[in-house]
Amino acid sequence: MKMTKIYEGAHQWVMFGRDDNKPDNIIDSNQYIVRTANKCLLLEPGGTELFAPMMAAVLHHAPVDQITDLFASHQDPDVISSLGLWDQALSNAKLHAPALWEGYIRNFGCESIEYVPIPDNGETIKIESVELQIIPAHYLHSPCGFHVYDPQAKILMCGSVGSAFEGTGAPVFVERFDVHVEKMRYYHQRMMPSNQAKRAWIDRVRNLDIDILAPQHGRMFKGDDVKRFLDWFDSLQVGTGV
Amino acid sequence: MNSQTKSQFIAVASITSELSAVMVVAKEISLAAANAKAIAFRAGDKAKGFQPITDFINELAKETIELVTNINVYALLLYRLTVNEYRRTAAYNRFEQVAKLANGAVYADSMQEPITQARTIMQDCQRQFKRDVTQLLGQLEAVMHHARAARVIAANSRIEASQAGEYLQSLQAVAESVDKAAHTIHDNVQRCRIALSIYRNS
Repeated sequence: MKMTKIYEGAHQWVMFGRDDNKPDNIIDSNQYIVRTANKCLLLEPGGTELFAPMMAAVLHHAPVDQITDLFASHQDPDVISSLGLWDQALSNAKLHAPALWEGYIRNFGCESIEYVPIPDNGETIKIESVELQIIPAHYLHSPCGFHVYDPQAKILMCGSVGSAFEGTGAPVFVERFDVHVEKMRYYHQRMMPSNQAKRAWIDRVRNLDIDILAPQHGRMFKGDDVKRFLDWFDSLQVGTGV
Repeated sequence: MNSQTKSQFIAVASITSELSAVMVVAKEISLAAANAKAIAFRAGDKAKGFQPITDFINELAKETIELVTNINVYALLLYRLTVNEYRRTAAYNRFEQVAKLANGAVYADSMQEPITQARTIMQDCQRQFKRDVTQLLGQLEAVMHHARAARVIAANSRIEASQAGEYLQSLQAVAESVDKAAHTIHDNVQRCRIALSIYRNS
């Protein structure tokens, strides 16, 4: 599992992904942690198959008892099907996940972890002194989804938005945006169902000060590529599956 | 899922399947008892010896139904325990994998506590499963006992039927159906016992 520190300040952001040992027929996904002095928030913990390499990678940054919070942007198995294993490993943790999906996500196993439902209009979660904004991202692609914005680190963890699928050898940041768009186009057109929802999200996100866009699959966007992505997405017609 | 877990799931699932067949047969015995009672009533003195037997048959059928109902509830608990044991074992195996992969990580040692805890819970589940299987086997033995008793009653019924004159054939048919039902119950329960016996407490 590749680990890349993407923010280093009073707290840290680390991106995990590109696991060379993952089974070939399982999509590669990005996981993130927000590490504070005594706590660790795990964003998009991943699927069951990914649990062992992911947990092992996190142990380079935090001990088990300091993994106190999990976040799932939506209900898909590649996001959170490992929950049943985290549930048995962590003795005092919370899962922040959409209220709408609670009854669904609990199917993955959630007995000891406290499920903290996120209301439809989002909220703020606090990990020690770090305040994270939970931004609504409904119908992108899940009917109920959320992204995580850290105003201090200027990072937006944007779930499925910005996702692309490449081999585990791909770099973690977009290098040539014009080449990268072709890796994203079909996914966004097919998986994002609503132009109206897309527009609402872009309007909201354009007001945020973002250095890094961090999707759940594929490469991250930084610097000018953030604006390039928003412009490209803005002009893309989505919902082409019908 | 390894082959032992698979066969454990199959063994537990087969109990419910076998017992639902037993339930159908026990209800048939109950019907046969009601039928026999009506025939014995019509036969009057000719089937005097048969009348108390019909009550026995009915009582036996009722007790069997009650036993099987209880066993089914227990089998469901055993199924849940099997699922739980499977989940706990899967978690323990993954945690062991984490420990190997985390070799050299700063906080690798912090995984020891979850591993120890997962191992303890997994072993508790395994012990609990064996205890519950032993208890279930005891309950199944009680059903076998009822099946054996039904066969004795069927034999007595045949003797009594032979003295029932023109009602002989009807009462013999009742005795045959009780005997056949007892056979089926015996065989089905025996299959449950064989499937489970490898998991009992030694």
